[in-house]
Amino acid sequence: MDVLLLQAVKSVATADVNSSINYLPIVLQLLVAIGIVVLMMTGTHLLGPKRKTEDKLKNFESGIDAVGNARQPMAIKYFLVAILFVLFDVEVIFFYPYAVNFRALGWEGFLAVLGFVGFFLVGFIYIIKKGALSWED
Amino acid sequence: MNVTQILFWLLSALTVFSALVVITRKNPVYSVLWLIITFISISGHYILLNAQFLAVVNVIVYAGAIMVLFLFVIMLMNLNADAEPQKNKWLQFAGVIAGGCLALVIIAALKNVDAKARIAETGSDIGLIENLGKVLFTQYVLPFEISSVLFLSAMVGAVVIGKKN
Amino acid sequence: MPINYYIFLAVILFCIGVVGVLTRRNAIIIFMCIELMLNAVNLLLVAFSKAHHAVAAINAGPAGTTAGTDGQMFVFFIMVVAAAEVSVGLAIIVMMYRNTHSVDVNFLNRLKH
Repeated sequence: MDVLLLQAVKSVATADVNSSINYLPIVLQLLVAIGIVVLMMTGTHLLGPKRKTEDKLKNFESGIDAVGNARQPMAIKYFLVAILFVLFDVEVIFFYPYAVNFRALGWEGFLAVLGFVGFFLVGFIYIIKKGALSWED
Repeated sequence: MNVTQILFWLLSALTVFSALVVITRKNPVYSVLWLIITFISISGHYILLNAQFLAVVNVIVYAGAIMVLFLFVIMLMNLNADAEPQKNKWLQFAGVIAGGCLALVIIAALKNVDAKARIAETGSDIGLIENLGKVLFTQYVLPFEISSVLFLSAMVGAVVIGKKN
Repeated sequence: MPINYYIFLAVILFCIGVVGVLTRRNAIIIFMCIELMLNAVNLLLVAFSKAHHAVAAINAGPAGTTAGTDGQMFVFFIMVVAAAEVSVGLAIIVMMYRNTHSVDVNFLNRLKH
């Protein structure tokens, strides 16, 4: 019964961290998330009335006639921001193992991380100086 | 068949199917979305192999950040009109044959490998973030620092290439 | 699971990536196929790390052995380097698109002239 209450069986949880039963809550969460989407989509599809007039099928743009294609190429500024996001995202990935072992690693680990962040800081200063993140040209 | 084996076959089928969809869709947006599913199922394999931290990193870095970057680029280029010029039919056929032959040769060469060690059934905790972190910050400090230099160069490269004038 | 199955899965994924690179002309899709191949290799490395750990655990007892950690560290660094590679590579593709207004790799033939 514990399993249904989203609580891993106690003996398993303490004895074996790697048992796949521990991932049941995650799987259930995924299933519920997907299930809600599927339910909503099929529900609205089946229940909603269908009156396919020309005005109904037109894209709604605040009452004005539709102008052009909705998929316009974006500005290149977004792209640069996205690239820099990926790089700093990976920087954060490196912090998780350090944060878990923060006390055990002591000053040595701290200096290693300081050097790591230092290089990123140099890169960040370069980005700011180049104006890659400034929104207005 | 226990739970691990059932999960292995399910995840393998999902991985191979979504990878096949990636290379057959004409619209690049669909390819990106199916590649995300491929990566998530590979993350499932990592969890089965007791590499929990790698599974999380795979989801965050690959499925989260890199694929979003791909989507950005595709939207930036307005490629969704599937204007991709198709290769010569024969050339495509030759590519499929070549790839299939490669797979066949490698599998034929490796099918008799004597594998006594049955994996994914014994539990281990080497993949937990704490143990990996200890190794990362003791044995692998130098690669860790060098990767920050790599990221510095990647930042500079991206800004130099991507910024106008 | 015998490790053979993981080897076969990784080989199949890798070859799907190869076929994608050979049959498509869109530079972005080719890049995605390269990522797929990288991931196939990562999966194989993790499987071997697990097998290595299983053998070491049989020889030395289940507790106390850290064999196989190196393989997972390699995969971690591969992922991290792949992020840097993707950011620069996509920047190059965007520049190519700006100059030629196409992502068709056949246009790259012009680099020869």
